[in-house]
Amino acid sequence: MNCTDISELAPLYIAAELDSQRAAEFDAHLKTCPTCMAELETQARLDDRFREALLSEEVDVSRVNRRIRELIAAESLPGTAPPIPSKPNRWMTAAMGIAATFLLLAAGYLLIPGRVARVYADAATDHRMEVVEQQPRHWMTDPAAIAALGGKLGISDTVPLELASGYRLERAKICRLDGRFYLHLVYSDGSQEFSLFLRPRDGQQLSGSIRGFANGRFLRASSAGNEHMASFETSHLAALVATDQPAGAALHLAKVVSAAM
Amino acid sequence: MARRLAADPAAAEDLVQETFCRAWRSFHQFQSGTNMRAWLFRIMFNAFYAQGRQISAGPTLVSLDAPGRDMEPQSRSGMSLAEVAEISNALEELSQEHRTVLLLAIVEGFTCREMAGILSLPIGTVMSRLSRGRQALRERLAPEPAKVWHARAAAGRAGRET
Repeated sequence: MNCTDISELAPLYIAAELDSQRAAEFDAHLKTCPTCMAELETQARLDDRFREALLSEEVDVSRVNRRIRELIAAESLPGTAPPIPSKPNRWMTAAMGIAATFLLLAAGYLLIPGRVARVYADAATDHRMEVVEQQPRHWMTDPAAIAALGGKLGISDTVPLELASGYRLERAKICRLDGRFYLHLVYSDGSQEFSLFLRPRDGQQLSGSIRGFANGRFLRASSAGNEHMASFETSHLAALVATDQPAGAALHLAKVVSAAM
Repeated sequence: MARRLAADPAAAEDLVQETFCRAWRSFHQFQSGTNMRAWLFRIMFNAFYAQGRQISAGPTLVSLDAPGRDMEPQSRSGMSLAEVAEISNALEELSQEHRTVLLLAIVEGFTCREMAGILSLPIGTVMSRLSRGRQALRERLAPEPAKVWHARAAAGRAGRET
C-alpha cells in the first residue's frame, strides 16, 4: 500500500471495515509513514470533537414517542387498514403487537444520535454485573491458572500482572462478548476496578470509531449507560477496556494497558 | 439525525412520525436479524426526499452574544459553548452531501457499507464524500489543515478517470 491507497481506504479503516489482510497492510504502512500516521491522528481528533459537539445537544423524544404510540394505536383499531395486507387473525394481532414494540423501542434511533456496537454493549453488561454489582461468578486469581486460561483461548502473550497507575491483576474468567470468547481480566488499584477483555486478533476487527492513539495503536471507544469502553489491537490480540469511571478514563486506561502489552 | 435533517424541531418530529408510520405499514418487509436501525434510517431518508424537502442547514444556529436555552451545551463532554458553536456553524457551511455522510458516519456510527444502503449510493461514492466532507470540515476548523491526503486522493481519482 502507498500513501494514496491509505488516504482512499481511510474511511474504511476508521470504521473498522477493512478485511484482515488489508487492515494488516494498512497498519504496516502506518508504522513506516509518519505523514499518514499524523494525518489519521488529526482526522481522529477532528471526528472526536465533531461527535462531542453534536452529542452535547439534548433531545427530548417523549412527545414524538407519544405521537407514534397514538398513531400505531389508531392504525390498529378494528375497521382501520391493517399494516399487513392479509386477513387479520390472532397471530397477526400478536405480530402487530411485536412490530409496535420493536418500533417503539427504536423510536429514539432517529432523534438521539449514537449507537453501541454489540461487543461494547456486552462488555458494559459484563462489567456492570460482574465487577460493579459483584454478582457471584467463578473467578480465577492464581496468575498461573489465569495464564493457562488465556492459553485455552489462544492467548499466548503474557498477561500483565501490574500496570502503571498502581493497577494490579485481581481475577479472571472466560466470558462471551458478541458471541465470541474473551478472557475477562479485572484490575484494581485498591479503590477502583476496571475490566480488560482479551481475545486473539483475527480477521474481525473490533468495531467503533477511532478516538485516540497510544503506543503506535489507534484506540476505538464507545459508551453504554454508565459504562465506558475503549479498545485497541496489538499484533496478536484484540483488547477492550470497560470501566464505570468517567468517559475519559476508558481511553486513559486503554493507554495504560497498551503500554504494558 | 432528524433534528439536523429537518428545518426545525417540529419538522423533525413530523419526519420521525412519518418514518415510523411508513415502517409500521411495511414492517412485514423487515427481515428479522438484519439491522433495524439502518432500515429505519433508509425509510427516513426516503420519506424526507419524497416530501421534496431540502436538507436544512441545521437547527443550531448559534449566537455567542446571546446564547439561547437550547444552545446550552448539555454537555457530558464539558465542551465549551464557543467550540460547540464553531463546529455547528462549520457543519452548517458544508454541502448537503457532505453533511449527511459526516453525521451518519461520525455521529450515528454507521459503516460505509451501511451508509451506502441507507442512501442508495455506491460505497465508493460514500467513501469519497466522507473523505471530502472530513477535509471540508477540517479546512473550516483547523487554521492550517494538512492537505497531503486530499491532494493525493484527488490525484488518484484523476488518474483513474483519465
